Parts: sequence; structure tokens; C-alpha cells
Amino acid sequence: MKTKKILSIALAAAMTLSLGVVSSTVFADEIVINYPTFQVGSNSAAPVVAELVDEFNEIYAGQYKIVVEDVPGDQNYADKIKVQITSGQLPPVCYGAGYKLLDMALGADLVVDITDAVNADPDWAAMFDENWEAVDCRDGKIYAASSESEKIGYFYNKELYEQAGIEPATTWDEFFANCEALKEAGITPIAMDTADGAWCTQLLLGAMIATSGDEGLEFMKSMYPTDYSIQPVVDAITRIQEFYTNYTTMDANGGAYENAANNFFSGNVAMICNGPWMIGDFSDTSKAPEGFADKVGVAIFPGGFVYDSPIEGMFVTKQDDPALEEAAIAMVKFFTSADAQQKALEMQGMVPAAKTVEITDAAKESFPLLADFIDQAAGASVSTATFTGGMVPGLEDLWSTELPNLASGAYTPEELCQILTDFATENAVTE
Amino acid sequence: MKKHTSAGRRTAWFFAYLFMALCVAVAVFPIIWVILSSFKSNQEILSNGLSWPTQWSFDGYRQALEMAPIFQYFLNSLIVTVLSTALNVLALSMAGYVFAKKQFRGKNLLFSILSLSMVIPTTALLSPIYVTITKLGLYDTKAALVLVYAALSMPISLMILRSTFAGVPKELEEAAYIDGAGFLRTFFSVMMPCARGGIASASVLAFLEGWNEFTFALLLTSSGNVRTLPLSLSYFTSQFSFNYTAMFAAITIAVIPSIIVFTVFSEQVNASIVAGSVKG
Repeated sequence: MKTKKILSIALAAAMTLSLGVVSSTVFADEIVINYPTFQVGSNSAAPVVAELVDEFNEIYAGQYKIVVEDVPGDQNYADKIKVQITSGQLPPVCYGAGYKLLDMALGADLVVDITDAVNADPDWAAMFDENWEAVDCRDGKIYAASSESEKIGYFYNKELYEQAGIEPATTWDEFFANCEALKEAGITPIAMDTADGAWCTQLLLGAMIATSGDEGLEFMKSMYPTDYSIQPVVDAITRIQEFYTNYTTMDANGGAYENAANNFFSGNVAMICNGPWMIGDFSDTSKAPEGFADKVGVAIFPGGFVYDSPIEGMFVTKQDDPALEEAAIAMVKFFTSADAQQKALEMQGMVPAAKTVEITDAAKESFPLLADFIDQAAGASVSTATFTGGMVPGLEDLWSTELPNLASGAYTPEELCQILTDFATENAVTE
Repeated sequence: MKKHTSAGRRTAWFFAYLFMALCVAVAVFPIIWVILSSFKSNQEILSNGLSWPTQWSFDGYRQALEMAPIFQYFLNSLIVTVLSTALNVLALSMAGYVFAKKQFRGKNLLFSILSLSMVIPTTALLSPIYVTITKLGLYDTKAALVLVYAALSMPISLMILRSTFAGVPKELEEAAYIDGAGFLRTFFSVMMPCARGGIASASVLAFLEGWNEFTFALLLTSSGNVRTLPLSLSYFTSQFSFNYTAMFAAITIAVIPSIIVFTVFSEQVNASIVAGSVKG
């Protein structure tokens, strides 16, 4: 009987203790902003975010404090935020990134309209050009603010280009001729993939669609298109199938970004489509051979095309406490300010989202390849967001799942396009 | 004739040992591959996964420990998994005993409902569990993970333990009652020891479920004081960056202690699994 009593008391004490473990770090007047982020660990933006958090906490000491929640892995972050959206309990600040989280949160009526806050600050308001509006605004209202731009072309191995006697192409005919020349020289032309959204492959595909004419450009500029069976898309996917068959590595079918990247770092292929965030890896000797960075050149796509679109930015979510919403707005403003974008550029070579942010000499010196690319991109005549970036939610997964069938020849381009059309139509998003 | 038998026996031994060697190779190869990869560069891992490291560098281990709080997460995993396993086995052995030995109205219906939870996909559980845990004020606590993990293993533990208790002779229970033991005494002192085999099996499955679980650990926690080991491995790969060397080093750090513990206690684990299996 005595033993039972002791056991009961011990169990009750253990449960009470465990229930009381809920963390509470709120000081008297300081408002704590819990900020979950995937920009930790091996993410290239991790040092920038850490620095900005420290700076914010110093500037707003005693008033606001950001407490970072590590959510390592981009997809893990998106998955967690999606569950929180369906539960109606979002953290004060979310980063839309490439996961269309803003629209999902707006659909659940969880996003704060920051139009007044933005318009109250002329410097902040000046950043909202038409590119920002397409990504961060809905129905004339500002709901998010971007800090980084997705400016993408392709990288090439100068040494391999020299061996094949070619120069970066300005037209698609030249591009295909280059691929043929590389192949004849015994060099695999381009790195491709199918897994994880087939990032490198979809960049090549989107560039071909956007430069195919008005219909293709309109398709690439539209958000959530439903008809993938239009001629420019079918033609480009036909070309992609040819690339899988003739101009890429064996591991492209089934491979992910890291396989494609490794093929480029190892000199197995002459080209890879990707953004400037890859530049740091060229001099990382655990990934690429010593001196590899000197061999890399950068170019915009044939037809004067470049991907150029701000990445969906940070947004403030509705909270019970209006003071917390104010704190969250202050954080978003700080993280998307010109100073913050400049810092990200100089520290990690992240391309600023705002055209008003100057590309400083320090940045050009640290990232000469980036400076070269930004110069070339300034002369681009056509630009859009990425192919998968405009897809309805869920279609990117289907695209990645079905692409191996195109690569292996199990599907014709028309069949794949029809599958994409069917899904996009059934899951159409009405803006 | 004797010579013939001896040759046949030798051939049988040869194939028996060959089969065992293959089994050992299949079990040990992934562990050796991970350990070797932890010394290779990212390029070596991706270019030729089966090659020997060109140099034995401990950079991966340094990076792994710098990037992710592996030891803290390991300790958290241990606490959460041990507690959830204990809670699961204690609660479900009681339930299993009642379902196996007692008669009451709606018994089969209740058992079917509890078993049905096995076929509910995890995705369907995410939102309700998240809301429940946050409303209870248990978000970012080990208690939340303990409760959820104990519940996740409920159907399988219930099935194992019900069938185990069903196999224990009723006479043992009756003898205990005749000797003056009450319900609890009969359960803890007579029935539980007879069900050690089933309890060990249920414990192992519940432990593995908790030890490897990722989704709820990600969803229900936010601080390093609570997060568990599977989350630490996500620090090393993101959409456009990867550090496989550090990831394999982290896996090695995480796995080696478990292997050592299992090796040291393997006799006891095996004994507990077979104990009671011949009773009744």
C-alpha cells in the first residue's frame, strides 16, 4: 500500500514537471518573435540570417527579440508551415520561399496586409516594382516583402568549351550545335536531373518555352497555368527528351540536383543550369577540385533570356496580440531592407531582390562570376519566373515523378503534357 | 557410405557458413559504408560511392558537431524513446490482458476500433495532433513526444500483447486468485512475467518507432532541448547545398553508441526475447 502511494506521488510529480517544461523566455516588456527558418545548417543563407537576427536583437534590445527555431531542410520547413496553416496557428513571420506558402496562408485568412506599413516608408515602398507586385501582392494589397532574387542562367566549363572549340551560344540553334560539338569531342554537354522537382532540367525547359514566341512567353509569365499541351511546351519537352537521350549523363534519369552538380564539379559535363548561390561551391574543395572556380564561366540563356524574379518574401501572420504583429512587421522591414540585401550580397553572393540595391565593388571583388552574370543579365531581353515556380500546388511533385518516364522513352512528350494538363485543370487555382 | 555422409555434411556446413557470411555481409555492409563515407569528400561520395577514402580526414566529424547539436539530440531521443516505450508497454499490456482474459460488452468492437488506428495514414494525423498538443500547452515538450510515440505504437503493441496474454493458461490466474492475490497482484506478479516474450517484442517495436520517428518530432518541437536525433540529420542537406561527409559522420556518431550498447547487452536482449516463449 505504501509502495503504491509513493509510486502515485512520484508519477504525479513527474507529470507535473513535464507539463511545466513549456519554454517561456519572455521578459517583462520584450516581445518575442519566434521565427522558424530552414536557413540553418548547410543552407548557404544561414550565416546571413544569423547575422541579421543578431543585429535586429541588438537594435531592438528590450523591445523586440527574435528567437530562431531551426527547421533544417527546405521541404521540412514547408511541410511544417503547411500543417500550421491548416491548424490556423502560424508563427508571426513566415518566409514564402519557393513553396507558395503565401497563397496557402492567404486562403486561410492568416496574413496581415502590410500595405500601410510599406507606404509609410518611402524607401521600403520604392522597392515594390512590378516584379515584386507579381510575387508579393494580391488584389493591389501588399502581403509580403522579398529580400532575394532568383536570377538564373547557366554555368559552363571554359576548359571543356575550349576543347570543343565553342563559345556560349546566343541562339538555340547555336546551343544545339554546341551540344553536338561537345559530344563529338567526347564531352557530355549538360547536367540534368529528374528528382526533387528536376531543378536543373526545368530551368533548361522553361528557357526554351519562354523564348519560343509570344504564346510560350505568355505561358511562362502566367501563374498557375492549366494547359500544358500548347505547342511551345510540347516542342520544348520534345527537346528535353532528346537531351536525356543524347546530351546528358546516365545518372540524370533518377538523379537529383546534387548528382547534376557533382557531374559539373567533376568535369563530367560542360554545362549546368543554376543560380548564383552555386558559385561558392566552385571553390569548396570538398565538392570540386582545387582551382575549379577559375575554369567556370557564366552565361544567360540563348535568345537573351534570364530567369529574373524575386523569391516570394516574408509575410506577417495574424496574431491575437497586435503588438506582436507590429514587432513582426518591424522584423520583415529589417530583413528586407536595402542594408540587409546588401549584406546578403556581400557575405554570400545572394542576388538582391530590389533593383535599387547597388552591386558594390566589395561584392564584385568577392564574387567576380556573380558580377559578370549580373552585367550579362542586365542586357537580357526576356525574363520570367521558373517553369515549376508557376505550377499549381502539387504539380511539381507529379512532374518530378513522371519525368523519368519521359527520359526513358516510356512517355511521349504529348502524353507527359496531357498528364500535367489534367492535374493542373483538376487542381486549378483561381486568383 | 560413411565417407559419403561426411562429404555431404561438409558441403552442408559450407553452404550454411556461406549463407551466414552473406547475412553478416548484408547486415554489416551499410554500417561500414557509412563509416567509410564519413572520411571521404563529397566529391568522392557522389562520384564513386564504393571507393576507399583517398585520405582519412576527420573534417566531416568536426563539421557535423559544429553544424548540429548531435549529442543533445541523442540524449533527447534516448529520454523520449525510453519513456514512450515504457508508457506504451505498461498501458498496452494492461489493455492486452483485459482484452485477452476478461469478458465485457462491446469488447470486440472496442478492440476493432483500437486496431483500426493502424490503418490511418500519418498525414491525416498531423493537423489534429498538432492542434491537440498546442491546446494542451505541450508544444515543444518531451511529454508531447512521449505521449504521441506511445500512442503511435498502440495498435501493434495491443495485438502482440493480447495474443501473448491469450496464450497464458487461465489456471495460473485462477491459482493466484485462490492464493489470495488481488487483480493488480495477479497481473503484475503472475501474468506479466509469463508474457515477457510478448512484452519484449512490443518494446523493441515501440522503441524503434520512437527512435526513428521524424515527422512529429519536427512538427511538435522547436527548441534544441527537446528535439530528437532524426532531425539532426536534416542539417546537412538542403535544396541547393549538401554536405554528405558531415551527414555520414553524424550518422556514425549517432549509430555507434547504439551498436556498442546492443553488442554489450545482446545476450540479455536475446534472453528476454526468448524468455517465456516455451511457457504454457
